Amino acid sequence: MKTPLLFGFMLAVSSLGAAAENSGMPPLPPHQMRLEVPDGDRTQSPASGEQLFSNACGYCHLTFGMGTNVLMGRRMAMGLPPQTALLANRTDLTADYIAMVVRSGQGDMPRITRVDLTDSELALVAEYLTRNNP
Amino acid sequence: MKRVLPPNVSAAQFKDALADFAKAIGSDWVLSSDEDIATYSDIYNPGPEEEWLPSAAVAPGSVEEVQEVVRIANKYKTPLWTVARGKNLGYGTAAPRLPGSIVLDMGRMKKIRMVDEELGYCVIEPGVSFFDLYEHLQKMGGKLMMSVPGNGWGSVMGNALDHGVGYTPYGLHASKICGMEVVMPDGGMLRTGMGAMEGNHAAHLFPFNYGPTWDQMFTQSNLGIVCSMGLWLMPTPDSSLQLTIDIPKAEDIGWVIDTLTPLKVSGLIDQNVFIPSWLGKISVIGTRKDFWDKPSAIPEWRVNELLKQYKLGYWQVSMRLYGEVDVVKAKAEVVKTAFRKQTDQPIDELWWHKGDPTNVMDTTLGVPTAVPLQMGAWVGGRSAHLGFSPVVPAQSSHVLGQLKRSQELYAKYDVDFYASFTIGGRFVNNINMLMFDRDKPKDVQNIKDLFDELIVVTKEAGYGEYRTHLNWMDEVAQTFDYGDNAMTRYNEIVKDALDPNGILSPGKQGVWPRAYRQFARR
Repeated sequence: MKTPLLFGFMLAVSSLGAAAENSGMPPLPPHQMRLEVPDGDRTQSPASGEQLFSNACGYCHLTFGMGTNVLMGRRMAMGLPPQTALLANRTDLTADYIAMVVRSGQGDMPRITRVDLTDSELALVAEYLTRNNP
Repeated sequence: MKRVLPPNVSAAQFKDALADFAKAIGSDWVLSSDEDIATYSDIYNPGPEEEWLPSAAVAPGSVEEVQEVVRIANKYKTPLWTVARGKNLGYGTAAPRLPGSIVLDMGRMKKIRMVDEELGYCVIEPGVSFFDLYEHLQKMGGKLMMSVPGNGWGSVMGNALDHGVGYTPYGLHASKICGMEVVMPDGGMLRTGMGAMEGNHAAHLFPFNYGPTWDQMFTQSNLGIVCSMGLWLMPTPDSSLQLTIDIPKAEDIGWVIDTLTPLKVSGLIDQNVFIPSWLGKISVIGTRKDFWDKPSAIPEWRVNELLKQYKLGYWQVSMRLYGEVDVVKAKAEVVKTAFRKQTDQPIDELWWHKGDPTNVMDTTLGVPTAVPLQMGAWVGGRSAHLGFSPVVPAQSSHVLGQLKRSQELYAKYDVDFYASFTIGGRFVNNINMLMFDRDKPKDVQNIKDLFDELIVVTKEAGYGEYRTHLNWMDEVAQTFDYGDNAMTRYNEIVKDALDPNGILSPGKQGVWPRAYRQFARR
């Protein structure tokens, strides 16, 4: 069987999932099967930060996502472990930095509007992504 | 952040309008801070982001709120620029063509109103993304398959309305729209097709109206706000076979097209066949600096080295056949025989059967992904991309002519050449990607100059674009010049009749209402 060009790369990316499992992280949802967000007033979000991160950011920042791919290249070039390409595994992000990147964009990531992610939701996402900070 | 008001609207009137919007939809969904304005600018614009700034954005949560927003906009004559999810990356994102317009962001309306697995269709609202619908269908058991474009982040409806394409047999998305619910420019409601009858059971099944059929009038259009639509979905096939072949040389695209077109026109191949050039593949495994360290375009000798090193063809053709195993096998033999007449290149086969896992970015099996956007990182820095997208007949003479014209212009402007041809039937969508670092003004201007010349040269040769970025909507509209631009005049007559205040998306695809016609670039 021919190995499509992307396949080798995807294998490298898929090792992230295994790495996450081995490191005690919950198994990542296949094919970016994101978590659902409960209905409710989005300006005072009833959802958890994990649900919101998965649902609103998972397009790019779960396993196999574009953001994960791009970050993996950059992180590995910096000598950092590939697992840190997954934002959920990071321990060095701050709430202010997350808010800045979300609203201002970064690299080829466009800016995220308050319709995509309200301020209340953004605060919960930031809380989730900083939960393991030292 | 620079602030822009709608044309001919005072600051006091604008403030009153925002107050009325807030009463109608809630102040949380009237977005007018500097930060909000920035999030609705075109971050990928080839030029300053301030070029296409809105004055504010409003985000209604229901059809009734959309109607109220339109009535208020008419009262204050504040034009609205409607976006579904605003992810039309490379064509303007969420930014308006007329600066100062208020973005009408439909992203909060994201209900999947129904899915009929038996007849194969869904009814969706504008905020439903490809991922949303994919996950919904999977949770239902995966009996239906979507057609997805390169960026699954965007809106299913927005993509179909803007004539986006995918790579399954249902890949001509606008052709799968059936029955719309539309808010008209005066705030009234209209249902198209059989849905024009209250309670009609075939509203999303029969594709025509009794009388003139209007669905397509609301695609790439500023004549109404589509609040929901029916979209036909393909039953998930029992099996599928992907045949992949690397095509060594650029000029080989001629025989590839002539081999595929009869199979496509006859219906033996029913998907839209996507044929990207090598850069589309290599940009996923690295960025430009990994392969070429000079600012000039990658020269032919280096391209040939890279193709050899990474075992790539100049083009890669992946054809996918769908259906019962025996049918697919029989079709595959016909396809392989046709290719064997032209080449000894190996043809690789990859089977998929219902229930098997899918490749994570297999758009030809309806799996959404945003990974193709990664190509934007090719140039490094704050990268962005544009697409120059002419339509040409699916014949070698036309395709090779277009390829030659594009290649020559890319070489003239010293830009890396990246093109794809997608056979959609009797025609080919030729997408020429232009990637640039937004922080390099000279490179940005060079790309704009290249785009300008691509439009002129392609038009002179007898071809036009099917879609374009905000910056060229007028220029491309003017290339459709039959009868001294009869189509522009017709569009304007209809626009002025339906939308006398010119409230809805002025300038969309070069269609300007009388109220703002002075802003057209002609």
